[in-house]
Amino acid sequence: MTFFALLTKELRLRMRRERTIWIVIVYILFMGLLGWFALNRYNTTNGYNSSGLSNVGLNLYYLLSQLQLLLIIFVTPAFTATVINGEKERQTFDLLLCSRLSGFSLVFGKLLAGLMNALLLIAASAPLFSLIFFFGGIAPMQVLRALLVYVVTTVLVGTFGMLCSTLLPRPSVSTAITYMVCLLWIGLPLIFSLIMLSMGQGVVSGKPPVTSQPGLLFVWNPVTALTDTYPPAGFTYSPAGFNPLFLLMAGLNPTYTGTGLGTFSLLGMKLSPWLAYTILSLTASAVFLALSTWLVKPNATRRLQAPIGGHPPLRGRQPEKESTDSATSEGGTAAPA
Amino acid sequence: MQKTEPATTAATAIKIQNVSKRYRTVNALSDFSLEIGRGTIYGLIGPNGAGKTTLLRILAALIAPSGGEVWFEDAEVSKSAAVIQRKVGYMPDFFGVYPDLTSAEYLEFYAGIHGIPYKKRARIVADLLELVELTPKRDAFVETLSRGMKQRLCLARALVHDPEVLLLDEPASGLDPRARVELRELVRTLQGMGKTIIISSHILPELAEMCTDIAIIQGGRLIASGDVESVTHRLGGDRQLELRFLDTVQMPTALELLGGMPDISNVSNSEGNTILLDFGGDDQALNQLLVDLISRKLPIISFAPRSGSGRLEEVFMSITEGSTAT
Repeated sequence: MTFFALLTKELRLRMRRERTIWIVIVYILFMGLLGWFALNRYNTTNGYNSSGLSNVGLNLYYLLSQLQLLLIIFVTPAFTATVINGEKERQTFDLLLCSRLSGFSLVFGKLLAGLMNALLLIAASAPLFSLIFFFGGIAPMQVLRALLVYVVTTVLVGTFGMLCSTLLPRPSVSTAITYMVCLLWIGLPLIFSLIMLSMGQGVVSGKPPVTSQPGLLFVWNPVTALTDTYPPAGFTYSPAGFNPLFLLMAGLNPTYTGTGLGTFSLLGMKLSPWLAYTILSLTASAVFLALSTWLVKPNATRRLQAPIGGHPPLRGRQPEKESTDSATSEGGTAAPA
Repeated sequence: MQKTEPATTAATAIKIQNVSKRYRTVNALSDFSLEIGRGTIYGLIGPNGAGKTTLLRILAALIAPSGGEVWFEDAEVSKSAAVIQRKVGYMPDFFGVYPDLTSAEYLEFYAGIHGIPYKKRARIVADLLELVELTPKRDAFVETLSRGMKQRLCLARALVHDPEVLLLDEPASGLDPRARVELRELVRTLQGMGKTIIISSHILPELAEMCTDIAIIQGGRLIASGDVESVTHRLGGDRQLELRFLDTVQMPTALELLGGMPDISNVSNSEGNTILLDFGGDDQALNQLLVDLISRKLPIISFAPRSGSGRLEEVFMSITEGSTAT
């Protein structure tokens, strides 16, 4: 009940902000315009013919799906990386602590409201994606898989942003750190790939290691997972083609051959990268959520030391450090009255 | 878990025992003990940095003390934070509002997170808005409310779960005189409803008029506590009386008479028809003094101890002398 009260309030506040509407408008306009320019360019370069229509659809889908993924990663931290420390900064956090909200309700309610914003963008872009089916070349199941990758990515970035906002007192710092980690998360495999390509171990070398096990660094990556949802044989890779992002994806994973990625073994099971990514990301999200729940209430360290169902004795206790209180209950304002 | 001390008595709402709170190198509270009676309005007085807010935050179970215990009836704060938070309504020294919510939505939200069933919320919100006289502002966004209205809304928020104890941190700061009077009346109404109210404030006249008891805190230590009169008497010495006469004709007689009476010192003729004096006797002696003055047919038109607020201010200034405001 307390959880729903918090969720209702959060959704009310978020939906009343002008910013929310503007983000949706700019997001859809940006994606729509880019898609339109891409179609125009394809028309100018290749022209439409009966066999090329599905290629147009595929290329448009590739472009929009990759763009959507990057935009989600870019937008989600803005919604979730300030949810806890933002309350502290607004001086409303103590009032939440004084209520009957449990740590989990507090964290999950705020997270869900933050994610709703990001999920709203995914939902708002559905009409754009429906255009793809007009051209053909993409099966609904592939779009659903891509949708799953989006949702999982949103949840993962959202829970990580929330953990940062629980740990760090300043909203600007937690947002910056979330962005930085996201950038490294996407960028590190790319850098490694480029290094491997330069060493002649990738697809460019002409010896694609199709059966080799992709490393965790490559599998736990949203771009790889999204690429894996694409039609295995329908993709005609051309570095000079109209979609330059393919070049990055080809370099991203040395196992990439244009006919699907290698499988990933997890606990003895052979999984497609998109499925392995989903499992890994949801596990990591659960860990981030659990950590945030533990850290959000005051005296986290002391609660860890307390016996189950009890509390440490008060008498003879060592004076606690200011940092514990300031970080968890006072939002960094530890000065006494 | 063994209970080391008896819980509070029937007349005591809160028992604070040897509480200390340390922030790195600063002792915010040191060996602080106090008993707060049920149904009292208890004022916490002290300069900035005295430890008032720290004490209130400990009472609200928002921070744990470094040592000592705080009992609410049979519940100890650090062991039963959830129980305490049901008993306590806390109003911090900042508004803590969501500007994009209306007054009613704001209260509904807090009613929700205090576990009040959905069906009961509308009634509670309406009652609270009426109590704090904000019914006409029910659908107004919080950001459009005046400071005084926001303060009253915050007070309503602290009452949303009908707590037994109210902790008000600087409730009157920044309010205009009218809003202060309204707040004072509201606090008295709440006392009439049987609530125990603890107020920290710098505005001493407000506290003197509002509180039944006070505790003076400095440097994290309790200097004095008790009812307002006894504390000011204990710390400030003799009480000061102001006597006003109809005219100045009999002033010399009055001055001579008062100068020779027991328990009276520092007799002075401050204005034309006014005499100020320090009186060291008890209430019975004070009554006898008035009877004596009237029996000698002195044209006395006003016989009043100097206001509690003025006395309290003097006491406060004397005990905090040398401490710098932070």
